[in-house]
Amino acid sequence: MAIRTFTGNSWLDKLTSKKDLLWLTIWIAGLGVLWIWDALFLNAPAFARLQTAFLNSLLTGLMVVLFSLALGWFLGVSLNTLEHSKSKIGFAVLSFVTDILRSIPQIIAVLIGYVVLTILLHNGIIRSSFVQMVWIAGTIAIAVFLEVADTIRQRIDYFRTLDFVDAMLCCGIKERRIINVEILWKNSRSHMLHKLIAIFGISIFLQCSIDFIISVGLSTDVSLINFPMTLGNLLANVDSKQDILALSNLFTEPGYVSVIFTRHLQGLSVAFCIVFSMLCIYMIANGIVRRHKLA
Amino acid sequence: MSAFSSILHKENTGLRTRLLIHGAGIILMAAVFWVFISAVEVSRIESRESDNEIQKYLDLSKMDFGDPADRLLFRESLDVFYAGQTQRNDSVVTAIDNLRQRQFSDPAYKTGDTLDGLTWNMVRRLTGMYLQFIAVYGIVLLLIYLLAQRIAVYRFIMMKQHRESYLTQALELVRNARANRVGSMWGSAVRKLGLLLAKALVKGIVLMLLFTPAYVIAYSVKTTIDTSSILFMILLGIVSNGVLIHTANKFFTFLVSESRKGYVQTAIVKNLHASYEWDAPEGIPMRTLLQIKHGFRSHVFQSIFINARFQFIPALKEHASFLVTGLIIIEMALNIQGHFCYELLQQILYRQYDIAAAIIFGIFLTIKATEIAIDIWEHKEKRKYGY
Amino acid sequence: MNERKYTIRIASEGRALVAIDDFRLAKSAITVLLGESGIGKSLISMAIAGLLDPDDLDVHIDGKPYAAYLRSQEAIDIRRNGFFVFQEPSSHLNPLLTLRAQLREGSLAAAPDEGRILKKLWQGSSSSGVESILDVYPKPYRPSGGEKQRILAAMAFKKMAASAAHTQESLFIFDEPTGNLDNRLRNEFLDLLVENFRNQMTTIVLITHDYSTISRFTNIYPTVSKNILYRELLLEHGKLHLRDFLPGEYLSWLEKRNATTRTGQKTETVLRLQPHVKVFGRTLSISRDTEGQNPEPLLIRKGAVTYLKAPSGVGKTTIVKLMMGLIKPETMSMELGSAVYSEKTNRKVWAQRVWGRQMTMVFQHADEALNQNSKVKDVFDGLPIAVPLNEKIIVKSLSELFEEEPSRDFLNIRIKYLSGGQKQRLNLLRSLILRTDILILDEPLNGLDFASAAKVIAKIEMKLQSGFGVLVISHNEEIFDTLVATANIYYLHSSSSRLTLPDTSKR
Repeated sequence: MAIRTFTGNSWLDKLTSKKDLLWLTIWIAGLGVLWIWDALFLNAPAFARLQTAFLNSLLTGLMVVLFSLALGWFLGVSLNTLEHSKSKIGFAVLSFVTDILRSIPQIIAVLIGYVVLTILLHNGIIRSSFVQMVWIAGTIAIAVFLEVADTIRQRIDYFRTLDFVDAMLCCGIKERRIINVEILWKNSRSHMLHKLIAIFGISIFLQCSIDFIISVGLSTDVSLINFPMTLGNLLANVDSKQDILALSNLFTEPGYVSVIFTRHLQGLSVAFCIVFSMLCIYMIANGIVRRHKLA
Repeated sequence: MSAFSSILHKENTGLRTRLLIHGAGIILMAAVFWVFISAVEVSRIESRESDNEIQKYLDLSKMDFGDPADRLLFRESLDVFYAGQTQRNDSVVTAIDNLRQRQFSDPAYKTGDTLDGLTWNMVRRLTGMYLQFIAVYGIVLLLIYLLAQRIAVYRFIMMKQHRESYLTQALELVRNARANRVGSMWGSAVRKLGLLLAKALVKGIVLMLLFTPAYVIAYSVKTTIDTSSILFMILLGIVSNGVLIHTANKFFTFLVSESRKGYVQTAIVKNLHASYEWDAPEGIPMRTLLQIKHGFRSHVFQSIFINARFQFIPALKEHASFLVTGLIIIEMALNIQGHFCYELLQQILYRQYDIAAAIIFGIFLTIKATEIAIDIWEHKEKRKYGY
Repeated sequence: MNERKYTIRIASEGRALVAIDDFRLAKSAITVLLGESGIGKSLISMAIAGLLDPDDLDVHIDGKPYAAYLRSQEAIDIRRNGFFVFQEPSSHLNPLLTLRAQLREGSLAAAPDEGRILKKLWQGSSSSGVESILDVYPKPYRPSGGEKQRILAAMAFKKMAASAAHTQESLFIFDEPTGNLDNRLRNEFLDLLVENFRNQMTTIVLITHDYSTISRFTNIYPTVSKNILYRELLLEHGKLHLRDFLPGEYLSWLEKRNATTRTGQKTETVLRLQPHVKVFGRTLSISRDTEGQNPEPLLIRKGAVTYLKAPSGVGKTTIVKLMMGLIKPETMSMELGSAVYSEKTNRKVWAQRVWGRQMTMVFQHADEALNQNSKVKDVFDGLPIAVPLNEKIIVKSLSELFEEEPSRDFLNIRIKYLSGGQKQRLNLLRSLILRTDILILDEPLNGLDFASAAKVIAKIEMKLQSGFGVLVISHNEEIFDTLVATANIYYLHSSSSRLTLPDTSKR
């Protein structure tokens, strides 16, 4: 049995003891290796498309994180305020609405958002790629922000079970400050960071999935070409699908492995980018839980 | 029936409130969808009447609306029959153009579908697909619940055994070899290193597989496996999209959090078994991982496990919702004809929004039913432990 | 006396938590371990008992890694034959196992004397018998903290009985075992402890902040006194060490205080609470007689201390929270200044007029009451004070309860890195800095060592002179009785002997 034996102080030891940073490094390094490989073996137009797709997906994911944080913070704090107000009607109504929203699968919420987007595109109301990305990020954020709101509520509720809130109230400190500064800012940053990283992962997954679904057929007026180039968009491209299909050859012809990483590079690169990112994001989130003892 | 009447007992106020909220949510959504479906139906009737009117023009014999001369002749005829109504006549021509375009481009026209909306026939068809969807969902949910616990327990015990990852072990091996610099040991060290790296590679591939979106897996095996079979869908539902790994991770988090609680220390000072070695006299029997019902009697892990499981029950709701998302993606992205969620995509494509709404309502009901079942289960567990 | 000396180092993520070279443990004796909370008493005791997790902490005992100590025969014997009663009873009982099952788990299954031990521990209890709670799954609110604490103590005494043949190889550690017990129950526990010690002469460590324990042992068990050692863990110039604490230090201070006259003069009444308060379906009533025959309004007077007493679990914390408007009562009437506060009073009114303005309250658990991630200087942020506090004022305030003038570095330390005693002093200072008419103190001496407790008492006396009205609830009756005139002592009673209120103290 292997027993933990690391006691050194080298940068490597420090990195291996902080799993979140270790996996962030692995993620960047892995993507770096892929970038070099693609620069060498992937044709130039496909390589350019891949880079644009990655950056667009990253940007959309970051916007989802930002929107989710704003919406989640607002909803979480509002629910908490309404819950402790004299009239419970506001709390009941808002809880009821969020309860319904929770029962709608994320992909359906995103799909509805895309249906609306196709109508807007078709009617020429939205044209710019950036606005489309903002719309997509907003749609995904609506589907996932409840997780942020839940984290915020859990944190506030946890501190309410302690003497924390009451003790500060008795000293005349404003409730607004106790919630926003003392609980959420000073005591919940790592919890929020963990949740936002998870949200980022989900957003990449949902983006890719919805793009793949669109490739099957969502509208006759709008197709993938009308949407901004993202990883999912590129994966759903016929060439990429063919590349992924080529993996089947390995079952019957294992020797095919020698050419698969040069001949079918576009599809495999996109798939690797997505799967590897999902894995690393999961590991980074877990590392944060471990380092900050969030569990 | 007795279970249902016990729910209504006055001691169960909390649960009754939850059920009331679920019920109200279902009624409200049903009302919203009903209004939406009715509105679509009204608009369809109006549109059909308008189309029928326009169709009369298209049915005029010897009139080819693709021919500019015929179109001009038609427009002038309208101006003669409806003199002074230029705007009206323009609208008629535009409507004719639109209908002709739709007849060319709309897939529903092309496939000869009737565009009748939510007919009884369609409801019957959808019901069959829905039942199949629920069956697959139920099976996958049950298997994930069982598998996730086992994976989490295994991971927790490995953590307690201080097992380092294969890569870390390999790194340590390299360090030791460099530090020792004993020539004779190089051969065995290289062999060990190779084995560790191979294990790391296999583990990496398995992990990547668990995070791979279903459509990537399906496409990569499409030519060798029938990817539209129910069995394949169940398998894909379990292993893909990260559902299993995330659910297992949640249970693992509960195990870690419970293992830090004070009652575990009290159990230790009461001399309950506390070794995490597999099959050691005071350790954990490996066979428990394979048993349907876990049992770690006389071991501190029993308390950790039951407390973690207790918290895992309500957490299942969010995983169930994510699982539904995964199944929807599988059915839609894999183009599996005749399946509930693929049908949703088709109906959106045909702009049959009433049918699409009905399908979405069905999915909503599935999640609500899961939430209700989990709330009742959680309530029963809480009652058992005096909450 | 046979003693074992330990050198102990405990660190976490490179930060030293405990470093002591002279921790001495007397065999076949009771060591009463004193010292302010958070200084390392529990950590050291757990290290010796072999209960720390080497994955979480870097521990060295006598210069060797903890793993080596855990493998030693000494540690194995302690684990096999000893017991540890943990400080916080709620989290140390499994919520999904009945108390009866937990009393009979593991090595306790075959242990004798369960009935006798439980009977003795519940002898002085005003609540219903122990049988009524044995089949309960422990929850935060039921059984009460005191009952849970006694269940844990019962486990220790059972183990003591089971290990009778191995007294030399065992170690029994009781970490704050009376923190939730009133004086009567505390005495029952101490009696049982001495009785068991007399029979087995086993090694016992009793960690406590309750200095009344000294009086009890000295006055009631003079013959055992030679086997009872009082030791105080101190942090001096950044170094931890153990010193012998002479019981006379405390007893003579107490004697001196008892000799001074307590002011019982009738000054202006600033608060009047009507004697009956209904909350959570129970009626809490206040009287000046111990039996509760003649309910009377509770008065808080300017420049005087009012002391509210009650057995554990009756609802002392609940009633002060009601007075602060933190819990909504079913019926209550309280006059504060010229205004009347009742169940109908809106929360906004409490926030605008009362909290931090007319009244303030110091909560008993400084760990919960303070923001652990704040810096020391930030503790005073957000207080309703007209002029913002600058560093100079903060330093001046801190020096009133801290030994030496705090440095700039100290102001920038995060609260989580302070000792429990330092936290408790900060907790007190945050309220003392406000210019309210009334100060409510819930267990203000919690976690303090003797020197700090004496300082806090002196500070309260100073505040009284400036016109503060003070209401105290505390288990340290021996100390607070020296501060309060008999006329200002009230007793709280509940319509039900067992408190089944929700956990308003959150413990």
